[in-house]
Amino acid sequence: MNGAQHILDAFHRHNINTVFGYPGGCIMPLYDALVDDVGVEHVLCRHEQACALAADGFARASGEIGVCIATSGPGATNLITGVANAYMDSIPMLVISGQVPSPLIGTDAFQETDILGMTLGIVKHSYLVDDAEALPAIMEEAITLAQSGRPGPVWIDIPKNILLADVATPVATKTNAPKSHCPDVAEALAMLRSAKRPLLYSGGGVSLAQAEDSFRQFAQASGMPSVVTLKGIGNPGKGNPHNLGMLGMHGSRAANKAVDECDLLFVIGARLDDRATGKLDGFAPNARMIHIDADAAEINKLRPADLALRGDLNQILEACTKELNSEPLSISDWQKQCKTWHTTGGFQAADNEESLAPISGPAFVRQLSKIAPDNAVIACDVGQHQMWVAQHYEFDHPRHHLTSGGLGTMGFGLPAAIGAQFADRNSTVINVTGDGSFMMNAQELATIRRYNLPLKLIIMDNQCLGMVRQQQELFYNNRESHINLDDNPDFVAMARAFDIPALHIERTDQIRRGIEAILAYDGPMLLHVAISREENVWPMVKPGGSNKEMIDETRRTSASTKEQVA
Amino acid sequence: MSSQAECSTPSYNLNCRMHMEAAALERLCQVVRVRGFRISEMSMSSGSEHLDIALRLEGSRPIAMLQAQLEKLHTVAEVVVQSPSSVRSALG
Repeated sequence: MNGAQHILDAFHRHNINTVFGYPGGCIMPLYDALVDDVGVEHVLCRHEQACALAADGFARASGEIGVCIATSGPGATNLITGVANAYMDSIPMLVISGQVPSPLIGTDAFQETDILGMTLGIVKHSYLVDDAEALPAIMEEAITLAQSGRPGPVWIDIPKNILLADVATPVATKTNAPKSHCPDVAEALAMLRSAKRPLLYSGGGVSLAQAEDSFRQFAQASGMPSVVTLKGIGNPGKGNPHNLGMLGMHGSRAANKAVDECDLLFVIGARLDDRATGKLDGFAPNARMIHIDADAAEINKLRPADLALRGDLNQILEACTKELNSEPLSISDWQKQCKTWHTTGGFQAADNEESLAPISGPAFVRQLSKIAPDNAVIACDVGQHQMWVAQHYEFDHPRHHLTSGGLGTMGFGLPAAIGAQFADRNSTVINVTGDGSFMMNAQELATIRRYNLPLKLIIMDNQCLGMVRQQQELFYNNRESHINLDDNPDFVAMARAFDIPALHIERTDQIRRGIEAILAYDGPMLLHVAISREENVWPMVKPGGSNKEMIDETRRTSASTKEQVA
Repeated sequence: MSSQAECSTPSYNLNCRMHMEAAALERLCQVVRVRGFRISEMSMSSGSEHLDIALRLEGSRPIAMLQAQLEKLHTVAEVVVQSPSSVRSALG
């Protein structure tokens, strides 16, 4: 068995049956081995960045490890954005790149890059294999490491001669991640019981730990009002009466108000990102904080915790739930107060009933939320449409919402949707994108066509980089700079060129028919939605500002003339 | 101005044991830099399977934050923040 065959052997051992890649010179021995391997489906994307982002989407939707493969040099460098995306959002990923033969490393050989050095800051760990006999153990360790503790991408750079070398080392045995312990929750419960206004604050760590059920049971048992980060959307489910929605820069007034007023913040699987907290000095100023996370390095990183519990979220939440079930909290006044705030300060969009009115972004998303099946997976790109989805789409599960949270990668949505569709061929997967983001990985229409994926693509086209335009309007005295995209291609014709049928809509009375048409179609279909160039995402906190100081449309004029970015 | 700034920036001494691997030192230095610290002195010795690295660092962020980030690295076996006097001798 050569090195390449050992890689496939590791895939089999770990039930990895879908990988995303693009062949080239130094990775050719692995592609040669794939010819004989019927147990691994290799998905050929049209750009290595899309391979990495598709592997990311596969992992997010399935909860399993995503795998991407590329050759050395440009193949490997093209992966970088996708790997950084996975790193920022703690997505389990295995990255395999070919490298020039060992004797040529350091000679500026054709398609040689020091990919190990380039990617140190965006991987959980990485390897440059210098001994073929070590490859089986490295594969084993890498796959386990990527999925254990706080997940993340692990990169293995493999010289061509190692892929070709006969490996005498026996096949490695599958290892399991070490089991974590459950810390004592008594002090956390005591703090919770003494609080008058406790608030549950959850993030992406809940689904990363596959602790969705434990979280919901805990949320129900505690009855705490709940806010979520962008990646925590879906944690509480549709049925949680105490969910106030997303907090932060484009969060709801209700969520930010509750954070401001609470006296105990119960943080689960969240890293207190600046987009969520706003200016830290003004964040939850009256609250003590309990921070529960799998990663010790997140504790006290940005705000000191009054109590930290590090460990497996499932075990911690189950232990807390058990205690709360026997003695519930008495916080009915606080629950009522939060419900009032939610009624008046939740995400609201006036659904324009006038049939000929132009389409409003939030109104479109609300309709989509009502019409799409409950288990539809929505893969967003980055920008205004991403925030409208976060605000107005009702998700029942965090794995139904694929969004580039930490890195904010335009171009994420389409390949991520491809990955999600491969994770479950029978699910409804919808890529909601903007005209700017769509063009960043539009070549993947060819991948959709090649595999006949029944993806639904929705382009919310405002003919500009809307989020940048919004901030230029509000914080740069409306001085628009290089955001204009009114020379976009004809997206409907473009889709049809890839043999993907497409529709265009521009009026409110066309929304329902447009959405129903693409969902009913048996195959991939694109819906081009023309929306207003001037529409903004409201409410908003100025970058660097406190979450208490949200601005909305009523302050649009004054904000644009007086405020500058700090 | 720079000398005043240097004087006011806290300094720390940190010892790190890492498993031998390609790019071990680069990995360590990269984390130190990106987490807001400057290496003002550094020494290293290597055994058959590990590296012992002593660093003198300057930075205004909490050293515990850097320690936690270094401990997270897969190939880091141990990180010890030493008192200035003890590491002065370790660095020679």
